[in-house]
Amino acid sequence: MEAVISALGLNATLVAQIFNFIVLLIFLRVVVYKPIVNVLEQRQKAIADNVTAAENERKEAEALRQSYLAEMQKSKEEAQAIIQQATKAGEAQAQQILEAAKAESARIKDSALAEIEREKEKAVAELREQVVTLSILVANKVVSKKITDDVQHDMVREFIKEAGDLPC
Amino acid sequence: MRGLEEVHEDLDFWGFLHLGHHGVVPTPIGDVNVKTLVMTWVIMILAALFTVAATRAMKVNKPGKLQLMVEEMFLFIRGLVYDNIDYRKGAGMVCLLFTLFLFLLFSNLWGLIPTMMSPTADINTTLGMALMVFLLVQVIGLKYKGLSYFKHFLEPVPFFLPLTIIEELSKPITLAFRIYGNIYAGEVLIAVLLGLFSLTVTLMGGFLASVIWLAFSIFVGFIQAFIFTMLTIAYISQQTAEHH
Repeated sequence: MEAVISALGLNATLVAQIFNFIVLLIFLRVVVYKPIVNVLEQRQKAIADNVTAAENERKEAEALRQSYLAEMQKSKEEAQAIIQQATKAGEAQAQQILEAAKAESARIKDSALAEIEREKEKAVAELREQVVTLSILVANKVVSKKITDDVQHDMVREFIKEAGDLPC
Repeated sequence: MRGLEEVHEDLDFWGFLHLGHHGVVPTPIGDVNVKTLVMTWVIMILAALFTVAATRAMKVNKPGKLQLMVEEMFLFIRGLVYDNIDYRKGAGMVCLLFTLFLFLLFSNLWGLIPTMMSPTADINTTLGMALMVFLLVQVIGLKYKGLSYFKHFLEPVPFFLPLTIIEELSKPITLAFRIYGNIYAGEVLIAVLLGLFSLTVTLMGGFLASVIWLAFSIFVGFIQAFIFTMLTIAYISQQTAEHH
C-alpha cells in the first residue's frame, strides 16, 4: 500500500483538494445557485404567462371574429330585405302608375266619346232644323199656294220624321 | 531535442519546483504539491468570478452572453440530473454536480495556458474528487435504501461478494484515473512537443502540431469533465433508483 501511494505520488494534497472543492461548492451554493434558479424559474413563469396570455388573446380574437361574422351576416340579410322591399315597392308603384295611366286614358277616351256623341247630336239637331227649314222652302216653292199652311206643316213634320229615322 | 525534465524546468516560470522537494512542501496536514494547490485556488477564484459575474444583474428577458453561458451549462447539468435521478432526490444534487462540472472543466482547460497546470493533471485532485463521489454514493445509498443497501453486495449470489466489492471499489479508481490520464497525458504531450522542435523548426511550422494538440486538448477537457459528471450522476442514480 505504501509503495502504491508513493508510486502514485499521493499525499495530503488529496485531502486539501477535497476541502477546496467543498469550499467552492459552498460558495457557489450560497452566492450563485439561488440567482440562477430564480432567474430560470422567473423565465419559466414568464413563458407560461405568455403562453396563457397568447391563448386567451387567441380565444378573444376568435370570439371577436365570430361576432363580426354574425354581424356581417345580419347586415347582409338586412340589405337583402331592404332591396327586396324596395323592389316590391317599385313594382307596386309601377303598377299603380300603370293603372292610373289606364284609368286616365279610359277617362280621356270616354270624355272624347261623349264629346263626339254630343257634337253628333248637336249636328243632327242642327241638320234637322236646316232640313226643316229647307223642306219648308222647297215645299213652298213646289206646292206654292195649293195647300194651306196647316197641311203643309203636317206634311213637313212627317217628312222630317222619316228623315230623322234615316241613318246619317 | 530536449528531455521532459528540461522542458518542465524551462516552464517553471513561477518557481514552484524550487519550493520544498521538487514542489512538495511539508505542512501540518502532511506533504502537499504546492503547484497543484495554488492552481486550484486560482481556478476556484476564476470559477467564482466567472459565475458571480454571470449571475449579477441577471435578466429574465434579455440575458447577456455570460449569463446565457452559465445558464446553459446549468440547464445542461440539471437536464442530465433530472433525466437520470428522480426529481425529488435529484434536486438537491444539482448544485453539487454543477460545481463538479465547472471545477473540472476549468481545471482541465487551465493547464492549456502556458506555465499553468491543470489540477486534474495531479492524481491527488482526481482521486480526491473520485473518493468524494464514492463516499457520496455510499451515503446516498444508505439514506434511500437503509440497511438493505448492503444487500446488493450479495446479489445475485453471496458467493460473488469479493467481485461486487471490487466492482464497487473500481468505480472511484477508474473515475480518478480516466480524467487524470487524459489530462496529464495532454500536458505531457504539450511539453514533449515544446521540447521536440528547435526554435527554427517551430517557426517553420512546427508550432502547428502544438496548435492542433491544444485544440484537441480543449475538446478532451470538455469531454473528460462531462464524463466524470455523467458517471457521477449514473452512480447516484443507481442508488436512488427504486427496485420493484
